[in-house]
Amino acid sequence: MPEVLEAEGIVVRFGGLVAVNNVSLRVQSGQILGLIGPNGAGKTTLFNALTGYAPLHKGRVSLLRRDVSRLAPYARIRRGMGRTFQIERPFEELTVLENVLVPAFLNTSNRREAEALAWQSLEKVGLADRARQPSADLNLARRRRLELAKALAVKPQILFLDEVMAGLNPPALKEMVTFVRGLSSEGLAIVMVEHIMRVIIELAEHVIVLAFGEKIAEGSPEEVTSDPTVIEAYLGGSDD
Amino acid sequence: MDILTTIIQNLANGLLIGGVYALIGVGLSLIFGVMRVINFAHGDFVVIGMYSALVIYRQLSLDPYLSLLIALPLGFLLGLVLERIILSPLVDAPEDSTLLATLGLALILQNTLLLIFGAEPNSLYVSYATATIKLGPITLSLIQLIAGAVILVVIIGLYLFLTRSEAGKAVRATAQNRLGAELIGINTLAIHSLVFGFGMVLAIAAGIILIPQLFATPAITGPVFTLKAFVVTVLGGLGNIWGAIGGGLLLGVVEVLGASYISNSYRDAYGLVAFLLVLLLRPEGLFGKTVKRV
Amino acid sequence: MSKFTGLAIFLAVGILFPLLLPGYLSLAITLLLFASWASAWDVLGGWAGQSSLGHAAFVGLGAYTIALSATRFDLAPWWAVLIGMGLAAALAWAWGSLTFGLRGPYFTLSTIAVAEILRLIAINERWLTGGAQGIFIFSLREPFGLDLFDRQTQYYLALAYTVIVIRIIIGFAKGKFGYQMRAVREDEASAQAAGINPTRVKLQAFMISGALTALGGAIYGVFLSFLEPHDIFFLPLSVQIALTAIIGGRGTIWGPTIGAVLLVFSAELFRNIFAQANLLIYGVLILVVILFMPRGLMGQLEHRIIRRRYARSTRS
Ligand SMILES: Nc1ncnc2c1ncn2[C@@H]1O[C@H](COP(=O)(O)OP(=O)(O)OP(=O)(O)O)[C@@H](O)[C@H]1O
Ligand SMILES: [Mg+2]
Repeated sequence: MPEVLEAEGIVVRFGGLVAVNNVSLRVQSGQILGLIGPNGAGKTTLFNALTGYAPLHKGRVSLLRRDVSRLAPYARIRRGMGRTFQIERPFEELTVLENVLVPAFLNTSNRREAEALAWQSLEKVGLADRARQPSADLNLARRRRLELAKALAVKPQILFLDEVMAGLNPPALKEMVTFVRGLSSEGLAIVMVEHIMRVIIELAEHVIVLAFGEKIAEGSPEEVTSDPTVIEAYLGGSDD
Repeated sequence: MDILTTIIQNLANGLLIGGVYALIGVGLSLIFGVMRVINFAHGDFVVIGMYSALVIYRQLSLDPYLSLLIALPLGFLLGLVLERIILSPLVDAPEDSTLLATLGLALILQNTLLLIFGAEPNSLYVSYATATIKLGPITLSLIQLIAGAVILVVIIGLYLFLTRSEAGKAVRATAQNRLGAELIGINTLAIHSLVFGFGMVLAIAAGIILIPQLFATPAITGPVFTLKAFVVTVLGGLGNIWGAIGGGLLLGVVEVLGASYISNSYRDAYGLVAFLLVLLLRPEGLFGKTVKRV
Repeated sequence: MSKFTGLAIFLAVGILFPLLLPGYLSLAITLLLFASWASAWDVLGGWAGQSSLGHAAFVGLGAYTIALSATRFDLAPWWAVLIGMGLAAALAWAWGSLTFGLRGPYFTLSTIAVAEILRLIAINERWLTGGAQGIFIFSLREPFGLDLFDRQTQYYLALAYTVIVIRIIIGFAKGKFGYQMRAVREDEASAQAAGINPTRVKLQAFMISGALTALGGAIYGVFLSFLEPHDIFFLPLSVQIALTAIIGGRGTIWGPTIGAVLLVFSAELFRNIFAQANLLIYGVLILVVILFMPRGLMGQLEHRIIRRRYARSTRS
């Protein structure tokens, strides 16, 4: 299996706070890597470091065997990363279709082709019937799906999903799980942050557990969930 | 020795002019710090001060420094009312909107003054305008010294208000974190009105102490002082109230020194260049410790 | 209806106007210049979301370039126009490279300072600009036998200029560049996630905006044929340009033009009542717009149409 992403010794600091400390990971195409950990563990920050949004204090990120550690976010996206934001960030003044057109234009300068690609993305996530709606009017579940459609429209090799399942009702959750599994079976590499353990167990082949910025455990979902240090970290995290 | 005297003389002049800039800048910075509003009408508030001294002098033959007693309370009320009408509806709007709203206010004030007073330059002659006081080898103008005294009183008053009184503490809490201030029961909307009123008071005080020293025209003097106020507050750090005092004094000195030692015709450019440099290199201002990028 | 229908109608009315109302040429030229300046401003201010209050700098650059090349260097006007636009684009590039790191109001403040510094240079560098007394354009070569001092010629030049600016905006409005700019305006982090380099997009917008404004500045210079730095570089002109676009509707194709129609006509109507206080109307209208219709006239209208269209589509 070709290696899509390889990160080594990632360190991110905010002033005195070490938000991510010496974390390494690798993801292959078609693989789903789960990233879990209590609130404030540094999951989003790790995502930001991998996609270029947070400054790397130390460490190296390579994408398709090329070092991208010094590239700006947009340049990493152009080389094959796609990402969602934990707190969705639609272009509020644009309609749903236009929101997806923006990333679709990365692949073509032709309006008609870009629009076709945007429709494809919207259909994949089941938002096609909302295409003409102003994006500011979408409810939470649909905003999540819009994030996903935007990330897909850049045609990434690897997809970073930051809690796209949080707050979804059971049917929507089930749909989303099936959908993400479909994406990975098409060969996409996926890194996902998720608090819902059931989802991680169902989807991820490999799981990394973060606590206070450190990688405290790693392995299959079963190994990780029965690991005493992990249970300790979650319990310790929940009573503060 | 002679060179030293002129330098000291220039410094003294610069500081005296800078004191007025400080007074204007402190108000602008206070408004920005608490309300996050860049007040484009600030220079026009100064002009309102100038014309109120003129009107009070013409109607009541009152000395401009005494007219402070009438103009400041009225100015405070005007500030409250303007804030209520124009800015409080925009409290949650993007920063851009309040900037444009105060720009609109500036145009309305300038042109209203123009309609009432006409475009001719106006000044207010006081009998002691040319009086000077000799301090060793340097000479200081009496009205500038009075101005300096007024500024000291106003700024010390503001300092005591902000640090000692309950309302002042509420103002500072609102500046630090509006939501947090709301949560501990502070009516931040009222604080905003109060602060805008204070900004107006400071600007009007500056206008009144300036009018014996210069000629004012409604549509030109306002923007000139607005620009100066921006320069002062950026030098001191936008929202850093005490930094604005340093920024004001610095601008005064830079202008006077630049005018006498480089070129007088570029007098207004020195501040602007300093302003651009600080914006680019140290957006938190010369005196700020914390980086507060907006 | 093609996307150019509106522009074609505009052009047709514009061509016929001097035949119908020959007495209003100067007013019409002013209107066309403000419509195009506001539209050009809007490329940066509305589409890319970076409000400038220094666009008078570009007007001045265009006007002074044509004046100086005619009076000092005996250069043909079309070369002067190209040079002026080039200088404007270069200025925009340098200025934007330095200041686009600054957020929101800081950028706006920096634009004022840059324009003011240019004004001070125009006033003080007498050897180049004629200083505060200003500069006369007393003769111009005649491209294609056109007398550039003729009001009617100037009118058609201004009309062509407006049509070019709006044509350019229509050209990118629904295309890649238009969406890149809107994305950057809405949310830079999210724009990056779509592979957009925000700094590059803003620089492009600034350069186009500056060069187009300078083109109008050249026409304005010929129209006035006497340039005074106090008038042409001064903050109020920058403010007028920006407010025209904002009142008409930022980030819309026709908003700035509609703003110009509204403002130039009302300034003309009130000229007799308010004399020099004609900017009063700008102040009142911008307050009304900011308080009650923050998207501007056209923006509010478009917003409504999009909502209504969607609501109707869900009902059927
Ligand atoms: N820009 C920033 N500046 C300073 N500190 C930050 C910044 N971003 C994150 N942090 C801090 O870094 C730590 C990790 O935050 P992060 O958002 O990565 O956690 P997380 O694991 O994603 O949490 P959650 O499950 O709540 O999303 C937190 O203590 C947070 O306060
Ligand atoms: Mg997170």
